[in-house]
Amino acid sequence: MKKLILKSALYVFLVLISLELFVRVFHLGKDTPTRILDEYNVEKWMPNQNGYSVTGNRRQNFSEYHINNSGYNSYREFTPTTDNIEVALVGDSFIEGFHQNYYNSIGKKIEKSIPEVEVYEYGYAGYDFADQLHLVYAYKEQFDAIDHIILGIKFSNDLTRGKYEVDTGRLQLESPMNKLLKKSKLLVYCKSIGILDPPQQLLYRIINILRPVSKKPVLSKEEINKIKKQKENQYLVNFKSLADIYRYDKDRFTLLLDSRITSDTFLSYLKENGFNYIDFSTYFEESSQSTILIYDKHWNNHGRDLIAKAISNYLKEIDLKK
Amino acid sequence: MLFNSLDFFIFLPVVFIVYWLLFYKNLKLQNIFVLVASYLFYGMWDWRFLFLILASTTVDYFVGQYIYSCDSNKQRKRWLWVSVIFNIGLLGFFKYYNFFIDSWVDLIDIFGYKQQSSWTLQIILPVGISFYTFQTMSYSLDIYYKRLTPTNDFISFATFVSFFPQLVAGPIERASNLLSQVTTKRTFNYKQCTEGLKLIIWGLFKKVVIADSIAPIVDDIFANYGSYPASTLILGVTLFSFQVYGDFSGYSDIAIGTAKLFGIELMSNFKFPNFSRNVAEYWQRWHVSLSTWFRHYVYIPLGGSRVSKLKSVRNIIIIFLVSGFWHGANWTFIAWGAIHALLYIPVFLMGRNRIYMNNVVAENSWFPSFKEILQILLTFSLVTFSRVFFRSESITDAFGFLKQIYNNFNFEIYEHPLGYRMIDYFVLLGFFLLYEYRIRRDERSPFKFKSKLVRFIAYTLVILGMLLFFDDNIDRSFIYFQF
Repeated sequence: MKKLILKSALYVFLVLISLELFVRVFHLGKDTPTRILDEYNVEKWMPNQNGYSVTGNRRQNFSEYHINNSGYNSYREFTPTTDNIEVALVGDSFIEGFHQNYYNSIGKKIEKSIPEVEVYEYGYAGYDFADQLHLVYAYKEQFDAIDHIILGIKFSNDLTRGKYEVDTGRLQLESPMNKLLKKSKLLVYCKSIGILDPPQQLLYRIINILRPVSKKPVLSKEEINKIKKQKENQYLVNFKSLADIYRYDKDRFTLLLDSRITSDTFLSYLKENGFNYIDFSTYFEESSQSTILIYDKHWNNHGRDLIAKAISNYLKEIDLKK
Repeated sequence: MLFNSLDFFIFLPVVFIVYWLLFYKNLKLQNIFVLVASYLFYGMWDWRFLFLILASTTVDYFVGQYIYSCDSNKQRKRWLWVSVIFNIGLLGFFKYYNFFIDSWVDLIDIFGYKQQSSWTLQIILPVGISFYTFQTMSYSLDIYYKRLTPTNDFISFATFVSFFPQLVAGPIERASNLLSQVTTKRTFNYKQCTEGLKLIIWGLFKKVVIADSIAPIVDDIFANYGSYPASTLILGVTLFSFQVYGDFSGYSDIAIGTAKLFGIELMSNFKFPNFSRNVAEYWQRWHVSLSTWFRHYVYIPLGGSRVSKLKSVRNIIIIFLVSGFWHGANWTFIAWGAIHALLYIPVFLMGRNRIYMNNVVAENSWFPSFKEILQILLTFSLVTFSRVFFRSESITDAFGFLKQIYNNFNFEIYEHPLGYRMIDYFVLLGFFLLYEYRIRRDERSPFKFKSKLVRFIAYTLVILGMLLFFDDNIDRSFIYFQF
């Protein structure tokens, strides 16, 4: 019995080592860049990092990223001048684009369509509207030199707060313990494919075993609609509050949104109050091909082509000039 | 509790360690512990159905003793009928009741009588009922045929019926094999345990990598057969052949491996059926425990092959129809059984049904002969064709599927419903077949390599395969749980 346990443990250890080796050699696990909180309380990636983003068990999506000097995934450095025409794309992971090679980003696609424009992509996973406006405000000098700023928002996610505060949750991912765990590529890989979910859920179940379970109230359709309406109103209040705090520039700022998942009240408010927006929903609706990746909901190359097209058409329409 | 769940990965080591550390010296305690563990294992699915197992156990325990103690054949037979009626009654109610009602309604509908099927009930099919009822019945039947003396130890008998590794999907053991081991003191055997662990790993590979990874493709093709060309439908049913094999033989390997950890040897259930050279050989290699059960308790009592050719053919038809019906309360399974009877009868009439009993393909060489390759391909194709009925939801769907192959006889490249690379699956199945061919001589030793290093690489690759094809979003239950 002792021999069996010892030998099994030895085998498990050796197999784990071999798997770690396999995962590293075939680059099955994703690289995760380091996050930082800079002197302006802006959360971003630590400048000058390179790596690969991997999705799926068998590298179904494999792309290279490059974090530039400003801390964002882009093939170019952000040095706005008064001579060139620059456009900033600010948003979350969809703009960040770890799921596509950095030299084939939305910005690059726009630049191909309008060669006289330089596109700076300020994408960071989890950025909501507050994060975006805080960034623009914190780096005011830089953004003032940029001719036009496009802010990507998802109505249901990005307007949940009315003022900016540092998101400590994301930064906790940089704790010494997490950093240590991330050193094992096998562990990162196993986590990304969901194999660690059952033990994690079991752990939560055990931790919560003594806590009383509060039953979720069953809501009627009217009650659900009422809550939905309340939330929509709150999001609108948050939007107004943020636009007010950061002095939203209606001439230079444009929102990028999908009207299919945006409240009508919000859209009406934007229209009535002169907030410009690019609605990419029609581009996606008309597409016969899938616009998202296999393993997650991020835009695939085709989806990003469509987004670039929507933005390019808008930029051509407003005819940016220096 | 599923073998491929986290619950089982916690349950098994705990039971294993307690079993060998605390109850090592006392057989009675060992059996009580295994019984409790088995009931816990089953009860975690639905504790209410434990009463059915207990009822089946109690009935056959006493019936066995009554049969044994009776002098007259008439009385013995009467007691045997008690067991058969009780167990078949359980199966009949839980598994076939709605089927009979619906079939009756359909039948009278043919004669113009409209009847609402209001007698059908919302019945949950207890997992494993087809397996444990057959196992308990085999006990009473063996005592009736005087092949076995009944046990006076109820705990041992209950352990035999509910032994958790094989409780829900077999192998269906005969008392002469399993009960005798349950009533004998088990001692820890290192070699047996390591063999068990290897079988568990191999079984998991077959389930997680082969069966589960191709399941979404098969589900998609069978659900939308009307919109696919022949090439895709043929691909779908071929992949289903691999899916059902990986699923069920994977389960059996885990069951046999787990039993080995407790010092118990279960019978082999699968012996590489994909390399069968005719349908008769296929049935000597596929779901062996069920075939053996039917041969012992239905085919031989009917006269087997020792009667006239005509009666033998009748016996073959009966056995295949009953076997088909055992799988499920649906005409598709009966049709599947009938097709196998039609495939088996010519082999039987030509006297070729036993020629491959004691050898494997390429017995004394590295590669199979050209003739063997053709035989294997033909057998695989015929068996795969029958699976159109096995997999379809209804007879109408099965014929619709075949009609679509005929009507839309075109080739088109199939794309995975979730957008994954199809080539991955073809490469996987290619390697799997080659590996199975390499180990074809011994189904109980999947990692039989002289070199320790090669063996270690094989373990690593198998586990890596599980990672590469693991999919968190699919239904991970076993196909044969529904039977």
